[in-house]
Amino acid sequence: MRIGHAIIASIAMALAIPASADSTQGITDATIVIGNLGPFSGPSSVFTPLNYGPEAYLRYINEQGGVNGRKFTTVFADDSCNEAKGIAAAKKLIYEDKVFMIMSNPCSGVAMAIKPMLVQDGVPWIGASANPKISRPVSPSIFHTTYTGIESGRAMASFAMGKPGTTKIALAMHSDDWAHGYCDNATDYVKSHNGEIVATTALEHGATDGTAQALQIKASGAQAVMACLYQPELIVLLRELQKFQINVIVLGALGADFDQVVQAFPNHDYLNQRFFQPYQFKAKIGSGPLKKFHDIFVKYLTKDELPKVGEPTNFYYFGVPLAIVTVEAFRRAGPNPTRESWEKAVESLKDFDTGVLADTETFGPDKHVGVEKMYAVGLNAQGQETVYRSWGDALADSE
Amino acid sequence: MLALLPQLVVSGTSTGMLYALIALSMTVVYRATTVVNFGHGDMVAAGAYAVFVFGLGFGLPFLVAMALAIALLFAAGFAAQRMLLQPIVAGPHLSLAMMALAIGYTLRGALRLQWGNETINPSRPYPQDVYLFGNVVVTTDDAVICGSVLLLLAALFLLLQVTPLGKVIQATFQSQRGAALVGINVPLFHALMWGGGAALGALGGVMLSLITPLTPDLGQWTLVQGFAAMTLGGFGSLGGAVAGGILLGITEKLLGFYVNTVFIEITGYLVPILVLMLRPQGLFGRRAVVRV
Repeated sequence: MRIGHAIIASIAMALAIPASADSTQGITDATIVIGNLGPFSGPSSVFTPLNYGPEAYLRYINEQGGVNGRKFTTVFADDSCNEAKGIAAAKKLIYEDKVFMIMSNPCSGVAMAIKPMLVQDGVPWIGASANPKISRPVSPSIFHTTYTGIESGRAMASFAMGKPGTTKIALAMHSDDWAHGYCDNATDYVKSHNGEIVATTALEHGATDGTAQALQIKASGAQAVMACLYQPELIVLLRELQKFQINVIVLGALGADFDQVVQAFPNHDYLNQRFFQPYQFKAKIGSGPLKKFHDIFVKYLTKDELPKVGEPTNFYYFGVPLAIVTVEAFRRAGPNPTRESWEKAVESLKDFDTGVLADTETFGPDKHVGVEKMYAVGLNAQGQETVYRSWGDALADSE
Repeated sequence: MLALLPQLVVSGTSTGMLYALIALSMTVVYRATTVVNFGHGDMVAAGAYAVFVFGLGFGLPFLVAMALAIALLFAAGFAAQRMLLQPIVAGPHLSLAMMALAIGYTLRGALRLQWGNETINPSRPYPQDVYLFGNVVVTTDDAVICGSVLLLLAALFLLLQVTPLGKVIQATFQSQRGAALVGINVPLFHALMWGGGAALGALGGVMLSLITPLTPDLGQWTLVQGFAAMTLGGFGSLGGAVAGGILLGITEKLLGFYVNTVFIEITGYLVPILVLMLRPQGLFGRRAVVRV
């Protein structure tokens, strides 16, 4: 038995040595190496602003001198929103590039695919993907600093049902995990608040027409539509609803950029007080407290990393809290950070204001999703973009 | 629910006209070269982006931008055939199909490189009005798409049936060896048909850009629908491609509304399965007969 114990103890020690050595992987006297994983190619590359927003903030921090004398170095890796590519890219980041942590990662499928590897190796992850299962139940190294499908789905349904008399809800959704992440949670909210799902329609990626869906929604007598759709298909659906003048309110999920959707309607009277999205931010994009971040994007991102046309969009801002929390945790972890001390530092954040999101960040050992409260954004009766706390309760511009 | 049937048929016809145009452009290439252009959807997408670039990027009027986009895609199709397909034309048929696929993916990659991280919302060159015929809603988009495709069909009919050039094209469609024997430059004909197919595809892309936001993967969906319409109408039949497209558009609307909306996406896959099992030559195709 003693020999057996000795062998087991030796194996355990052998396994333990690299683990403890790994806890400072990516940290040198002068740098902190961050892996930035995202869909830099492929059909989902529309989400890369979620990768560039946090990168802009890290470059800004570097120019301020970094954190505790260390500057951030980013290694980008392309997952194309494909699970197999994502696993390969994450392996490269962790085992070849020796990053301290992985950041961004907008694609839920990839995040779920690499999660076992992250958990096994204790690699910290702060991502923007919406699937709530990534950070629930809690894993020591996995954190959501932005809203998951649970918060967003609830926000969509609660805003719609906040309109007096609204109980009949229709769903228009893609048939994938991402859409279910929003619409399933919206459905739970509707059912638990005496509402009814009167129609469930599928509108798949790449669809150029939504006549059948719009007519089904009309025939169902729905008062509101939860549109768990990416941007192109959301625009297609809205155009069809407009074409048939169907009198419903539409709540889009966070797969679409509100401003760009509105821009697709040169005459957007139909959208006034009809189209809304859960809103993550404490003010209007690019204004008030968010102006600082607009300036950071414009200054620190390259031409290729910024939009070809127009100002930085919603997704740039939505990505920033990932970097803000990451940086703050490094500050709190002190001059000799390890993965464990960094994770404890994240968990120590209470009511931490990122300056970006509608809610403050609060973490704990049993809570690895920092934010809950969301607003909604829509066009008021005059067609002006307006942020609402709840139905009919607009946030003043000065707030 | 039956009250909505006329609306579904009208909307299905409008969508089907687009499918018809794409199927027709694929059929032109297939009839001329017996190659199914699996990269055709990406040529449609390239056409949509080209009109956007000429229109918004260079500030040209819509019709000029459209003409330039069509001309550009004609040149691209012509050049692709001359430089990439002609050199391997004597090789296995599969190589030609793979080359066509590769051309499509290359185009898609180029579009992603430039516009991969954004969705483009091209503006219409006309106001979007809605007209009511009883309970049936028809939009300006519907009228523009159906009108443009019908005009194009009429022009193609005249070209093929009335003009001497049309007779040359028809003759070469029927027998390339015979055409070569009477002095027709068949390789040049192939290149012209590739150019023509790409130009028609570009017109499809232009029409598509009126009703849907642009993403580099726009072509994937259109390829499937175009292929399904071609199969339904009968491979190689120009009229069949048009009829197949319209039938496909109406079928997906009816199945989507009366059965389940998930059928809208899979109709384009179900149709080829059913047609190839029940009537392999399609509705208007000819049964292939091999003389032994």
